[in-house]
Amino acid sequence: MMEFSTWDILRNLLLAARWTVLLSLVSFIGGGLVGLLILFMRIGKLKAGRIFARGYIELFQGTPLLMQLFLAFFGLGLFGINVPAWLAAGLALILWTASFLAEIWRGCVEAVAKGQWEASSSLGMGYVQQMRWVILPQALKVAVPPTVGFSVQVVKGTALTSIIGFVELSKAGTMVTNATFLPFTVYGFVALIYFALCWPLSKSSQILERKLNVAHRNH
Amino acid sequence: MTYVFDFSWLGEYMPVLLKGIGITLQLIAVGAVLGISLGIACAWARALGPKWLGGIVAVYVELIRNTPFLIQLFFIFFGLPSLGLQLGELTAANIAMVVNLGAYSCEIVRAGIQATPRGQFEAGASLAMSPFETFWHVVLVPALQRIWPALSSQVVIVMLGSAVVSQIAAEDLTFAANFIQSRNFRAFETYIVSTLIYLALAILLRQLLRGVGWTLFPKRATR
Amino acid sequence: MTLVRRSLLALAACAFAAGLAGTAPASADALADITARGTLRVAVPQDFPPFGSVGIDMAPQGYDIDVANLIGEKLGVAVELVPVTSANRIPYLQTNKVDLVISSLGKNAERELVIDFSTAYAPFFNGIFAPDDVEVADIAGLSGKTVGVTRGAVEDLELTKVAPADADIKRYEDNNGTISAFLSGQVDVVATGNVVAAAILARNPPKRPELKFLIKNSPCYIGLNKNEPALLAKVDEIIAAAKADGSLNAIAQKWLAADLPTDL
Repeated sequence: MMEFSTWDILRNLLLAARWTVLLSLVSFIGGGLVGLLILFMRIGKLKAGRIFARGYIELFQGTPLLMQLFLAFFGLGLFGINVPAWLAAGLALILWTASFLAEIWRGCVEAVAKGQWEASSSLGMGYVQQMRWVILPQALKVAVPPTVGFSVQVVKGTALTSIIGFVELSKAGTMVTNATFLPFTVYGFVALIYFALCWPLSKSSQILERKLNVAHRNH
Repeated sequence: MTYVFDFSWLGEYMPVLLKGIGITLQLIAVGAVLGISLGIACAWARALGPKWLGGIVAVYVELIRNTPFLIQLFFIFFGLPSLGLQLGELTAANIAMVVNLGAYSCEIVRAGIQATPRGQFEAGASLAMSPFETFWHVVLVPALQRIWPALSSQVVIVMLGSAVVSQIAAEDLTFAANFIQSRNFRAFETYIVSTLIYLALAILLRQLLRGVGWTLFPKRATR
Repeated sequence: MTLVRRSLLALAACAFAAGLAGTAPASADALADITARGTLRVAVPQDFPPFGSVGIDMAPQGYDIDVANLIGEKLGVAVELVPVTSANRIPYLQTNKVDLVISSLGKNAERELVIDFSTAYAPFFNGIFAPDDVEVADIAGLSGKTVGVTRGAVEDLELTKVAPADADIKRYEDNNGTISAFLSGQVDVVATGNVVAAAILARNPPKRPELKFLIKNSPCYIGLNKNEPALLAKVDEIIAAAKADGSLNAIAQKWLAADLPTDL
């Protein structure tokens, strides 16, 4: 009968953690791009775009990620789009991430004081120019800490992809638990690996935020 | 192959769905009340409590905020029994939600407390208020008022996150969906229905929390 | 953007499609597709020893995997194993992500409305298992006990039918959950296959699932999509041949340490 040593457990978990990292990166970058699009629709001049963006955000923030993953995986298949587990997982995470990032960034854009809009329009700038030269550069600075902070939620969100059969860190954890009968050790390790991935992100988000606040106070 | 949608099972399985909704509501009610209370206590410990206690709370908050809820749940339900702590699935799910929301609301409430100007403490003291009264009236209530919207969104996020408690056989709405689809093999229809129910619950919960905010902090409503 | 639109459209369409028909990939004949593709995609369990579990290298192994390879070999195509759980194996099939489900699948009338089944390929005896110090003699003895079972598995369907009303049935997502719940003492008793319990016993667990009594003999079938007569006939033919020439019996000897029952 096969036996897992502690090293076997850790090695298998670390191998699976590669997928957690890869999936997190894909979701975060893809989610950022889609999120930017949703953001521009949400704060744009076009009414249909604003309505769509609001509906989009409501839908993806108002339903469990677990359900979204399931519908992406099995639902798209029904419509003739055959997606492998990693693609469905990535797609659902991208759409989910986008809804949160769009809303975080909207807050940042709105945080740029109203006077800035008025001042820049009095300089004869158009909407695009205002965005490009006045609003976005300032919003960007405010946006960095919460964006880095949200990346932690993305890493943790990847844990749910285990349910549609994607073998990442959490799934490997349940599989190894079943082969070793050591749930305390295995889930302890799994939690530590997640912590090692997430904590540096949380910490840098906090440090960035503190720096930004100091910069603001000096104004 | 043609896939034909079929919702005819809805009537038969309605009791299962309703029971699932009930459990999900119970989980979030307990989670929100106890979790926010825990969060307030932790925020007090970190902002104004003794240093050693603040340190312990900081470790707790970081651990919870940097690991997935699913793993916390597995650890409590499958891992703790090897230390002799046996918890039923509903108790485990409730504890996991309280612990999770506690950590997040601690950070949110703390941010609100830190925004309270120092002079307010002194003003409270000069009115001969006890330290506890000062904390309650001068620090906490205005802080809660300030961060109520952030706290409300976190409660909704935790409610949606509770979908994973079905993994330890707690019979919530997702469990109901999984149970039904394992009987009728109508996975898509079942998940669509449960997704829409979650959406409705999230919208209702948000309205409810807004109403609670108005009742708790009437000043804000008139402003 | 198209992705967003598409998925929203999909959601919207799903929501309002009651009674309407959506079209899935139009495959004229699954068997022809498999031959043309050169691979047979099979959904197999990864948490259900001895039918399917993972080794130290995390690769699937077990009775179901050997049967999948046997069928692939007879069809002259490569086999692609797709690990599934009991909750998602049917959606995998319905969305054409796999050609066959060989995942210790039990048959009942409700399921037969949705997919087709081959002839039986493996024996399966459901039983009630518990450590020596738990007193359960028959189905009535489950009264007041907490029973763990894997949701949607054959034993879940059977147990739900026959268990006394005050038995507390806990249904876990997959077999990992059921076994973990038993070993960590979350349930007194588990309902599972005799061979599954034997596989757990062989690994010297901290709590020993000893057989209390058998619920039902319910053999396993291979699941495939409806309206695929060519594939169904071919699979049945391969199973019949494997029963006749002893190759299926060899698999049973290897994983179940017993001969196939003659009535299978």
